[in-house]
Amino acid sequence: MIELLIKRAAWAVLVLFVVVSSVFFLANYIGDPASAILGAQATPAQREQYRRAHGLDRPLSEQYVKYLIGVAHGDLGKSLKDDQPVVEVLLQRLPRTALLGSMALFFELCIGLGFGIFAAVRRNTWVDTTVMSAAFVGVCLPSFVTGPFFLREIAFRLGWFPVGGYGRDALDHVYHAVLPALTLAIIGAATYARVMRSEMIEMLRADFVRTARAKGATATAVVLRHAARNALLPIVTMLGLSLPLIVTGAIITEKIYDWPGVGRLAIESIDALDLPMILGIVLLASMTVQVGNFLADISVAALDPRIRANAKS
Amino acid sequence: MRSIRRSDARGVALAMRVLCACACAALALIGCGDPRSGPRWQGAHGADETPRRGGTFVFHHESDVRGFDPAVSFDELSTMGIRLLFDCLLDYDYEMNLVPSLAEALPDVSEDGKTFTFHLRHGVRFHNGRELTADDVRWSLERMLNPDLASPGVEYFARLDGMADFAAKRTAHVRGIVVVDRYTVRFTLTQPDQTFLNAIAMPFAAPVPRENYGPDDEEVSRHPVGTGPFTLEDWEPGIRVTFRRNPRYWQPGKPYVDQMLFELNLQRETAFMRFIAGDLDHVHRHTPADRMFLAQSRAWAPYREEHIKADLWGLELNTGMEPFSNVHLRRAVAFVVDRERWSLARNRALAPLGQALPIGFAGYDAHLPGSQTRDLARAREEMRLAGHPDGLADPVTLWIGEGATGKMYGELAQANLAEIGIRVELKPVSFPIYLRETGKPRTAQMVFGGWNQDFPDPATFFDPLFHSRSAKDTDSSNRSFYKNPELDALLDQARAERDRTRRTALYREANQIVTRDAPWAFLFSNIMVEAWQPYVRNYRVHPVWSNAFRDVWLDLPRRRIAQRYAPHAGTPAALMPFGGAR
Amino acid sequence: MDLRAWRRFRKNKGAVAGAVLVGFVVLIALFGPLLAPLPPNEQFADALDRVTGLPVGAGAKFLLGADQLGRDELSRILHGGQTSLAVALGATALAICTGLLVGLLAGYLGGPADTLSMRSIDILLSLPFLLVAIVVNRVIDSPSLFVLCGLLGGLSWMTLARITRAKTMQVRELEFVQAARAMGMSQTRIVLRHVLPNVVQPAIIIGTTLVAQMIVAESAMSFLGLGVRPPAATWGTMLSDGVTMLSYKPMLMYLPSTMIALTVFGFNLLGEGLRDALDPKV
Repeated sequence: MIELLIKRAAWAVLVLFVVVSSVFFLANYIGDPASAILGAQATPAQREQYRRAHGLDRPLSEQYVKYLIGVAHGDLGKSLKDDQPVVEVLLQRLPRTALLGSMALFFELCIGLGFGIFAAVRRNTWVDTTVMSAAFVGVCLPSFVTGPFFLREIAFRLGWFPVGGYGRDALDHVYHAVLPALTLAIIGAATYARVMRSEMIEMLRADFVRTARAKGATATAVVLRHAARNALLPIVTMLGLSLPLIVTGAIITEKIYDWPGVGRLAIESIDALDLPMILGIVLLASMTVQVGNFLADISVAALDPRIRANAKS
Repeated sequence: MRSIRRSDARGVALAMRVLCACACAALALIGCGDPRSGPRWQGAHGADETPRRGGTFVFHHESDVRGFDPAVSFDELSTMGIRLLFDCLLDYDYEMNLVPSLAEALPDVSEDGKTFTFHLRHGVRFHNGRELTADDVRWSLERMLNPDLASPGVEYFARLDGMADFAAKRTAHVRGIVVVDRYTVRFTLTQPDQTFLNAIAMPFAAPVPRENYGPDDEEVSRHPVGTGPFTLEDWEPGIRVTFRRNPRYWQPGKPYVDQMLFELNLQRETAFMRFIAGDLDHVHRHTPADRMFLAQSRAWAPYREEHIKADLWGLELNTGMEPFSNVHLRRAVAFVVDRERWSLARNRALAPLGQALPIGFAGYDAHLPGSQTRDLARAREEMRLAGHPDGLADPVTLWIGEGATGKMYGELAQANLAEIGIRVELKPVSFPIYLRETGKPRTAQMVFGGWNQDFPDPATFFDPLFHSRSAKDTDSSNRSFYKNPELDALLDQARAERDRTRRTALYREANQIVTRDAPWAFLFSNIMVEAWQPYVRNYRVHPVWSNAFRDVWLDLPRRRIAQRYAPHAGTPAALMPFGGAR
Repeated sequence: MDLRAWRRFRKNKGAVAGAVLVGFVVLIALFGPLLAPLPPNEQFADALDRVTGLPVGAGAKFLLGADQLGRDELSRILHGGQTSLAVALGATALAICTGLLVGLLAGYLGGPADTLSMRSIDILLSLPFLLVAIVVNRVIDSPSLFVLCGLLGGLSWMTLARITRAKTMQVRELEFVQAARAMGMSQTRIVLRHVLPNVVQPAIIIGTTLVAQMIVAESAMSFLGLGVRPPAATWGTMLSDGVTMLSYKPMLMYLPSTMIALTVFGFNLLGEGLRDALDPKV
């Protein structure tokens, strides 16, 4: 088990290395960051001085090696835009995207699992059909379809939520995050609803559930304690895999709602050709993918009783 | 979806009905009601003009601010903040006249126009508490002029005596800046330069205390110290900058508001919606449709101002390359562009322009002979004179910036030039590539570009755009690479000319030359429409500084959170989850 | 697809609905430009209100209204559909071909080819899709349609490759394949005649969902301002054009949104229907 973990970790590091290196060389062909950052009326002297100050005039291979050494020490360089350490900026922005992501996850699970269980319990009635049809439609609604709709109708027209932005204090942040989180969560909620329903139906038919019923357990106890818990396995796997989707899905949602998280930072950095920042974000996103895959694998191993039984024997 | 058994057909029907009901509700939401509305909050004291103290004023911009070092930061965004944090020796009033600010009065000017003596006010204090002296003025200017800093302000002071030696680091000080006594400073130029006072009024020349301005550029940029009405309290990068009232400000009683919030990175599309919802007290960077709405709304009429921005936009035609080395082809382009149409497509947010100066500048003439206007017959005639009566065989590439606006202008240009048989291919490029490539002499045939005024004087457009010395091999600001010795002589003469009438006449002649030679097809100046909430008082659009908020006072300094939850006008409060709390 | 599967497909109302929707969308893609009443890129003077400059709504000349430059919305939707679908189908075709090829080779040949392919797939799967697409799009300023297809397809073939590989490995061990080998049939013929038909089924199913994903991906990129060069339109670029008019003429955004959602809906229905028909869980 430990050996497997180490192998996985080593592999993850290799993948990250390849990803970051490719993006490094790729992005260097995009253009000169100095002009992007300093703006139209900057003089050539200003731009030269900028390039010199940030080591952009050194040969590419030298920059590359320097960067790698930095990464090994946990230093991802400084943003070309405002000279802030990349790590600092990412750590600043990450909690905001994390807030968005966790609220989205929360909505996905509540709405998705809730409706999924509901539909399974009322299977083959009109309730089931309605929920499943709604879920099917939900899967087809990406954030750039639902985002502007929510923004205009629910936030601006009805005034129920703020029209984008970040807010001033903790509770305000949560209030501002509701609509973007909902936008992010729709596809996930719909998917979880469908998966939960089919898993629940199988569980409800399973032997051990009938046994529990025969022993006199109430319907609710049966549903929640026995069936649902076992139906969670594929959901947990999907959770791990959906982590990277939230990071990338956030790019569009953060743009629509003016949410100052990592997604918007990605757009801003790419516009400004802020190479260290772009690399930092790519690194972060790739790490998230690796972590997500890893968690998915572990949870499968941990939760699936068959695999656990095999491991024991 | 799995196949449904026949007995569930009724279930399906019911399900379909429920879903249809939801869809109808959604459509109804979209369809009814007018989202545009008037102001939701009024001032508490009606027409009473006595300024009240206190409150928080919220304004915004669509980009991110990079820093507040006045010697270096030259963009519109930074200037908005710098104007709150710093003062200069001179300032402009609302009629574009230079007025004294940190100086007690306008400077004494010598007979030959080369020496300017300023007397500073006594008792002006920096944010750190120390008094401002003439030595600070010199130190700040020399800091800015230091070649190591590479400030874009250096060229505005090029005629200071001793600049060449200072720039080459042969001297430690600029010979032309002399501290006469504690409160007097004297500037000497090598030749008379009518733009020198404008330069002194620019943020570059703002005095700063040397003890807070060490060698660390980043530190200095993030912790500005000046003499202005506000201090920098907090800066959440990418989100907002918080300014706090300076209690030691040299103008008694000012500023009026306690706090200013500068919201950053607000995209245009939603800025106006947020303004109506109460998030912002002032709005300016919004979409053309918003501008149109504001311009027409009667409810907002007292709280908005429409003005033509002092900028110049057009199709820059490379005179050093085919096909636009031919003046007739350039004129053909200048006369085929339908400026009215462009303005309409931008919801009348453009003021059509057919000459080399924006309206209001000395040398601008509304009836300039040879003005570029839409004249299809004339355009066709010019094509014939150019030897291409049926158009050009090869397509021409038009370089535009990325984004929806650039794209739209490119498409408009394509449509117009097609009328005289010129096929246009659009090349949208990222901003840094745009700057780099279009600044090279033989790269871009046609560029869509513009220029903002640096100060209210015609030299701010002519010199960087059409003087031959601005046509360089890299990073050329003269992107049409136009070289006309007659114009050069005219411009150099005008810059030194002291008599205003003669100066205006010289610039008018320059205007005529450039308009006739058409290195640009001049298109428009932007029309800015700004709006503010009714409880914001004492705000006027300043002709030189965009968004001058220093003297604003608030008639309704309530907590903003409560205001934000207010329901949209016309919707029953009962529908609101928070009961329509005010 | 054998007869039983076809019958199952026909009985599934959802699947049929999906097929109809897809058919409708494909028809738009093929014949839309012919049906368009007006040229999609021409800016009409009478499409913008004289006073406000705002585009007119649905009316006699402009059936679905006009966009903010005065172009006919309906024509742009029809033409845009063609471009959007062309990119999506092209990218999917590329992804399917690459996925099948790599999966077949990896699964059949095994050994170093297999390891190399699987490792590459792992790396590619770790790339954050949208980020990489944006960065590459920036490097290649305004890509052509082909390049766009290549970019999208090149980032999407991995899952199919994995499944194809698993299936191939399964089929490889079957008796009749062993027999063919023993009889001396060439590797290529074995792969083509025996392995490929078994592997194609999951490929088709994945393909339909892939088209839906490609449409979403292309629209997402166009929404962020990348993608096809102006004035060519796709539904995604129409979305990003319409954002400026969001509070005044929301239909400029809602119309292409709906088309995108409908197309995705149709392809998803079709994909599910195919899966149920070809591989039913009783």
